[in-house]
Amino acid sequence: MRGRSWWLPLSVVVLLGAIVLAAFIGPAGTISSANWKLIWELRMPRIVLAALVGAMLSVAGASYQGAFGNPLADPYLLGVAAGSGLGATIVFVTGRSNTVGWLIDPLPLASFAGGLLAVLVTYMIGAAFGPQRSSLTLVLAGVAVTSLVTAIQTFVLYRNSDVIREVYSWILGRLSTATWRDVRLVFPYIAVSCIVLLLHRRQLDVMRVGDDEASSLGMQVSRVRLIVVVAATLGTAAAVSVSGLIGFVGIVVPHAVRMLAGSSYRRLLPLSIVLGATFLVLTDIPGRVLSTGSETPIGVVTAFFGAPFFIVVLMRRRLAR
Amino acid sequence: MSSLSLDHVSVHYGKRTVVHDFSDTVKPGDWLCLIGPNGAGKSSILRAVTGLASHTGSIAVDGSPLALRSPRRRAELVAYVPQSPLLPAEMTAFEYVLLGRNPYISYFGSDTAQDRAMVMNVLERLDMASFADRSLGALSGGEQQRLVIARALAQEAPILLLDEPTSALDIGHQQQALELVDRLRHEHGLTVISAMHDLTLAGLYADRLALFHEGHLVVSGTASHVLRAETLAEFYGVSVTVHHEPDGTVVVVPRRTSA
Amino acid sequence: MNRITRTAVLLGVSIVSIVSITACGSDEESSGSTATSTASSAASSTASSDTASSSTGDTGDTGDTVDTSTTTATDLGPVDSSAAGVFSVETANGTVTLGARPVRIVSLSPTHTEMLFAIGAGDQVIAVDDQSNYPPEAAAVASELSGFTPNIEAIAGYEPDLVVIGDDRSGLGEQLAAVDIPVWSGLSAVSFDDVYQQLEQLGVLTGHVADAAAVVAGMETDIASILNELPETEVPMTYYHELDPTYFSVTSDTFVGQIYSLAGLQNIADRANATSSYPQLSSELIVSADPELIFLADTKCCGESAETVAARDGWAGIAAVVNGNVISMDDDLASRWGPRVVDYLRAVVDAVIDASVVAPS
Repeated sequence: MRGRSWWLPLSVVVLLGAIVLAAFIGPAGTISSANWKLIWELRMPRIVLAALVGAMLSVAGASYQGAFGNPLADPYLLGVAAGSGLGATIVFVTGRSNTVGWLIDPLPLASFAGGLLAVLVTYMIGAAFGPQRSSLTLVLAGVAVTSLVTAIQTFVLYRNSDVIREVYSWILGRLSTATWRDVRLVFPYIAVSCIVLLLHRRQLDVMRVGDDEASSLGMQVSRVRLIVVVAATLGTAAAVSVSGLIGFVGIVVPHAVRMLAGSSYRRLLPLSIVLGATFLVLTDIPGRVLSTGSETPIGVVTAFFGAPFFIVVLMRRRLAR
Repeated sequence: MSSLSLDHVSVHYGKRTVVHDFSDTVKPGDWLCLIGPNGAGKSSILRAVTGLASHTGSIAVDGSPLALRSPRRRAELVAYVPQSPLLPAEMTAFEYVLLGRNPYISYFGSDTAQDRAMVMNVLERLDMASFADRSLGALSGGEQQRLVIARALAQEAPILLLDEPTSALDIGHQQQALELVDRLRHEHGLTVISAMHDLTLAGLYADRLALFHEGHLVVSGTASHVLRAETLAEFYGVSVTVHHEPDGTVVVVPRRTSA
Repeated sequence: MNRITRTAVLLGVSIVSIVSITACGSDEESSGSTATSTASSAASSTASSDTASSSTGDTGDTGDTVDTSTTTATDLGPVDSSAAGVFSVETANGTVTLGARPVRIVSLSPTHTEMLFAIGAGDQVIAVDDQSNYPPEAAAVASELSGFTPNIEAIAGYEPDLVVIGDDRSGLGEQLAAVDIPVWSGLSAVSFDDVYQQLEQLGVLTGHVADAAAVVAGMETDIASILNELPETEVPMTYYHELDPTYFSVTSDTFVGQIYSLAGLQNIADRANATSSYPQLSSELIVSADPELIFLADTKCCGESAETVAARDGWAGIAAVVNGNVISMDDDLASRWGPRVVDYLRAVVDAVIDASVVAPS
């Protein structure tokens, strides 16, 4: 076996370093005894949430890539993004600011429910029309459901154009509104989801030879796929419900990890968790310092900083061959 | 050593029946080779035994039906080498063969030292110990074929199914692969069922042949019984001469039909 | 596993997750800007300002009719400069209480910037957002803060003792409450009473109760006198209010729509059977409705004017165009609900008067 067992401890160290670095950078300045409360209440939840969301999206993307044998899979493949977006849109349209005093904030709830229901519909369609319950059928069903749900959302927005700005800003994704309550809300889902996915690393490795051969090797392919999808979707929906749709992380981090540490899911999943967390913690920093008075949406930053990094890794790999 | 029996097995894909009412018993340690034109149903039978195609009728190993068994238990009894195996380019040979141990590793568990030792053992016996750390993408076709057989061996299953094991290989590697299977068959007491296009090779290595046409069994028996010019002409539409060598080998030689 | 089992599993998991995220989402501390914390930065509590009032500004109910006579039951006590004021108001989002008169106000809403300056609290404002461009004194404290994509740390960096925002759609109140910064949020007005109420609340919070009352009274008086100038018409004139060049308009249940209704005008967008208050009309509908007045609220953003409107296909025959009653309004005025709504009403009534003179009555 390739002796790359130092990758994981090294990445954990890098993650901790990133968290410390992020804690020191922000418009309110570096940490001092005077602004410690501000940093703790306003900056730290954001950093922790970035780590959680980054980890979740990356491991979900890697798991989907394994479960569907599709290197272009991302965590939004089966409709989570579209469903969450529609849920959020509905809340905004019915006047979210009037519910600020409510006991339950309906926004994360609606987007979570929307994401789950969209994937449920995808699964029902995929199972109904795919005699072999193949991964391709599910993916196609996901495309269909995403298109339909997005069309509904567009229609609703069109009829309520005064909230377009809020919805768009939600869709772009932001960690700037993170509070400790958000962290408490999503932590259980993300933790459970990551644990379940990590427990299925070996199964995902077996699935690398395709559904038929994995079946012949004694694996119940569609059951494993179902479990992986449910776990990844739960965690992704929770992450999306508080941070909006942050793209790019779920598809690129797993590939970057593959290029650095190989394709075995046994290594890929834990490394995706740690490096995904690191990536989002670091890319969240520019959002709060690029402009002195406003927030730059994180979706912009992840693509802007992530894409060149990815290109560099790609080129290094070509040269190394 | 185990026997495999098929009792009135019909295989269908959706509404289409591709194999009609096939019954046969392969005795322990025997090698049955399925032959026939494309689309005759040979691969479908193998897939049905593996559990990848739906069928009616009963398929049993040593008398107990496979359908009643869990996929894991089925994999302990039947090892399947597909026609075009999917070989992830970045997987190492060792990891690939280790996949064959899947039926013996618990769901949440991981491979044990015994599993890994067993895999190395298999690789050594196939003269591939030095390949253990090489990526599949860096291996030749013949080496890859040997690896798939190695993976099947790692399953420690008494029944070995081979779907067109030689179609993608040159004549040298063809012989190597078949010699290997034959040797392993005797060493491990495997019962082998294969589907093959090359009739001479099929007759050379298998104990019995079964000729299929459009899902129906036409004739089964020894090579000299099945490989007859008029039979082959009728069902393959081919014009051949059949030679019988002194040692009993049946050689099928195609003839030119144009002058 | 067969399809039914799998569907049941998925459905069950979904329901359980949704229920539990609901349960987790509601914690003991209620979310929202119940900023009952007191501002700690203002050291001195001696309210030596000129307008300290001892009565809590009790805001009356919001009338739903556009009644410009005051219905607020505010009983303002006499100006008492020696008593320490109680700076507390009840809003829809909860109670906002300040420990002392705020002197480090940050405003993230252009409308409320105008209100603050109008009631004389301008010198207590230390920063306004990048869209607050009126009055000119506000420009002195303009910053790069954004009301739409707020950077919470940047806001907190000003160490404000009161933050004033419009609609709180991003949970800003909750975040600032965590660092003990009080937030007052003024939702978009739907009636004149809302405008008055917000002015009065700001008056209480900033210690300018009497000033705020004066502003409100002045607005009411001005509005009444402006409306007196309206000519008599048997049939109300029709109008079209344009928000942007793709024919987004407003219905008469919006605030700006109510200003037009006050001026006795009838909105062609009301005929559109729209589901939202900001429907997108079609060229065909507008031309066939043939409005007598057209108000353009897209002059600054999108460069529309009477000339560009007249040049549109098929529009040259509209009554408003033919009679020269296409009026360019200030985009900002049309979207804010501060003291300058009076100016907006003035412009509308002037347009009505002009149109009445020309049209045969």
